Amino acid sequence: MINIDINGRILEVEPGTTILQAAQAAGISIPHLCYHEAFPPEGSCRMCLVQIEGYPKLELACSTQVKEGMKIMTESRVVNVARKSVLEFLLTEHPPDCPICDKAGECKLQDYFEEYGLFDSRYAEPKSRKQKKIEIGSNLLLDQERCILCTRCVRFLKHVTETGELGVLERGIQAEINIYPGNPVSNNYSGNLTEICPVGAITDRDFRFRTRAWFLEEKPSICPFCSRGCAITIAYHPGFARFDLPQRVYRIKARKNPNVNGNWICDIGRYGYPYMDNDRALEIRFPEFAGKTDWPQAVEIITENIMRLVHMKRTERIAVAASTFLSNEELYLIRKIFREDLGISNIYFVDPSEGSGDDLLLTSERTPNRRGAVELGFALDPPPAEGFKENIELLFVFGNGINEKVETALVQRIASIKMKFLFTAHKSSSADHFDGILPVSLVAEKSGSLTNSEGIVQSFVPALDPPGDSRPLWSILTELGRKMAIDFKTYRGYSDTTDILREISREIQFFRK
Amino acid sequence: MKKVDEKILTRDFGVENSHTLDVYRKQGGYEALSKALKKLKPEDILSEVKAAHLRGRGGAGFPAGMKWDFIPKDSEKPRYLCVNADEGEPGTFKDRYIMSHAPHLLIEGILLTCYCVGIKTAFIYIRGEYENVARRLESALEEAREAGLCGKAILGSDFECDMIVHRGAGAYICGEETALLESLEGKRGNPRLKPPFPAAVGLFQCPTVINNVETLSNIPSIVLQGGKWFSSRGIQEDGGTRIFGVSGFVAKPGIYELPVGTPLKDIIFTHAGGMLEGKTLKAVIPGGMSAPVLKADEIDVTMDCHCMLEADSMLGSSAVIVIDQDTSMLDVLRIMIKFYSHESCGQCTPCRIGTSWIYKIVQRMCRGKGRREEIDEISRLASNILGKTLCPMGDAAAMPILSIVAKFRGELEETIVERSQKAKIQ
Repeated sequence: MINIDINGRILEVEPGTTILQAAQAAGISIPHLCYHEAFPPEGSCRMCLVQIEGYPKLELACSTQVKEGMKIMTESRVVNVARKSVLEFLLTEHPPDCPICDKAGECKLQDYFEEYGLFDSRYAEPKSRKQKKIEIGSNLLLDQERCILCTRCVRFLKHVTETGELGVLERGIQAEINIYPGNPVSNNYSGNLTEICPVGAITDRDFRFRTRAWFLEEKPSICPFCSRGCAITIAYHPGFARFDLPQRVYRIKARKNPNVNGNWICDIGRYGYPYMDNDRALEIRFPEFAGKTDWPQAVEIITENIMRLVHMKRTERIAVAASTFLSNEELYLIRKIFREDLGISNIYFVDPSEGSGDDLLLTSERTPNRRGAVELGFALDPPPAEGFKENIELLFVFGNGINEKVETALVQRIASIKMKFLFTAHKSSSADHFDGILPVSLVAEKSGSLTNSEGIVQSFVPALDPPGDSRPLWSILTELGRKMAIDFKTYRGYSDTTDILREISREIQFFRK
Repeated sequence: MKKVDEKILTRDFGVENSHTLDVYRKQGGYEALSKALKKLKPEDILSEVKAAHLRGRGGAGFPAGMKWDFIPKDSEKPRYLCVNADEGEPGTFKDRYIMSHAPHLLIEGILLTCYCVGIKTAFIYIRGEYENVARRLESALEEAREAGLCGKAILGSDFECDMIVHRGAGAYICGEETALLESLEGKRGNPRLKPPFPAAVGLFQCPTVINNVETLSNIPSIVLQGGKWFSSRGIQEDGGTRIFGVSGFVAKPGIYELPVGTPLKDIIFTHAGGMLEGKTLKAVIPGGMSAPVLKADEIDVTMDCHCMLEADSMLGSSAVIVIDQDTSMLDVLRIMIKFYSHESCGQCTPCRIGTSWIYKIVQRMCRGKGRREEIDEISRLASNILGKTLCPMGDAAAMPILSIVAKFRGELEETIVERSQKAKIQ
């Protein structure tokens, strides 16, 4: 460890740390635009210049490594003059688009102007006009006038995706970012470009002109689209419940998790969010029973159906079709209630078929918790191709509704079964084939944990309120367990998912780490 | 007394076919190489070069021996020599003469340097516009290869070295050493962030020496006659002779090889024949356009790195641009900043936007739409570029501008007023 002094504060830092890293760790902010922690320092924006005692010139905080006894000043007069002058240069050619710019409110250039600038324009010359709306990819638009040439986008495509679709063309004041003719940005990670652009130069068709950044609230969650389990941030409109807004979720952002996804997420996870708002199953429906039902009544009906077979000692006539969209806790409860308490062996999984993965983040498993199900002791058998056993008269489908195809395929095999219940988050065309439709929450709306393909167990908390009547499946299952009173003591003990996970880890070595 | 007419680099320029191997050899060429390979160890050459006090002739004036010594001794990677022949500094035209009149002098210098530093491959990065010069260099190289002076087993020894002539594509910035490396690697010619320095991480991530053409062309005579001899041609800590390229309003513009430390006055008034008839001296840019300007009454200086720094200017590439009384300094300023704004690579903010901003103001002034107070704006902008850019080009643009504004403010103001009155009449 070595000692340095930043603005009179003595800090102890690891050798090899840069001034910027040391300052950030100590909560001292140094403005920077081109530097991004995922890439080596670029040193081109010149915003992070700081003064070091004994050095003839100002030095870059982003690339200068600390030395023992270094005395650094980040707010001295010369530093502020330099910072202001660099800021002035950047703003000289920057259009005053803030009122119509999607980045406004989370734009670093705007923030730094508020913090260090606040000067009037001294620029009496005409601004260089450049292209305002270049389609650089199917989702992305580039505004060259807003661009400050930090080249974060170029470096992302060079170092992370290694696809290199963007480059710097021309030089000097004419320098601009662009794609090469006929070769747009087309990779599964393109959405990250919007996020790493420190200004509003690269915007995303999906988010463009839809709302203002400051109207949105953000909560952490985990992406359920593949078994990587990337950390995400869900940005939603908190006024959704109160106002008649077209949507609740406006975008998904990557959330840093060095152990899983680093700084990035893929486009499937980023742009797939409309499933959270579209076609949701909102009501508990039992077509046989006229009118609406509430949850206590629904649980009652289900319990009766199960208990009837229990009393007849015919629980082998019950079948379960689960999926690995479910959390560890929910799968554990299915195991406990149906396999252990009721002794059912007909437990199948209706997962979507494998997709193709890539070398970066996306895995071929298109559900978030296959590994968890395996560790919980499920064989993950699909329903028998020839149809369910003839004696089956009660079926529970714990679907998720994301994959309609899988559900349709299932429905073709269940016609003969007398009583069928579908737990789903989404409206489904197969709903008519079921005797009860029970709306459940998505990962974003419940708590629990998922086990990713590498075996990392990640807990999550609700980011959104469940819409309509929907409830988390784990709470419905807990209630069902209580209601059936086969093992009342255990089920009474669960007040939240952490209780369940604690029990899982007591029981299964894998979850103990 | 030093012998003023003693030439190291330009000695054979007058000899017919001086660029051919035969003539070069007749004049004693490749004797240094043969001496080195037979009698000298690489360390011996290094200590001679250090003793010669040979400073880089490209502009920065860094001691060559020290630069070679920075190459890490323990690296297993191959080492490279890059010869900076991207002579782009306005006013500078010395290297093209060396390469076209004495290409073998450069080749011998390169071979000796490679032998000294342990390099097997050298790249000569020559500016794109020097097409004929590049061709001459290529054919000289071919001659050398055929004569066993280049390639494997040079002069029967186990020393092997070859070189590649690479033509640039016309960007001034590629004369900056790290941009040169990027360009040579086939990338966009943007300067690199330093550290790491090229000596440690240079071409293709390998240890690399980068030297100017003139610097390397001095090596044969240092090897042949010794560092002490060479050093004594110049002044203390700054040895040898330099080729001064004199341009502008003088009677005899051209190149003059003179000892380091020759008085600037002598160069202009004795060697270059004084001012053109009817012209009086107003200002001198002493080291290529990036060097701060000297007023007519400030030229009592000697042309060496130290003295030029004392005079708040720099020796740079020792290109002396002579400006006469009838040349408007506002026009000088315009031409200057037009160049830098056009040649800025655009990578870092202050240079990209600052130079373009200043150019727009100066252009407006020249059209008669400027105001006197805007001179302050120019110096404010130039100071905001100075010392804040990624590579030395920002300083190269800011320094001469600041010097013109400081030294010729009265004239600039008058010209601005004059031109705006003229614009109003029209």
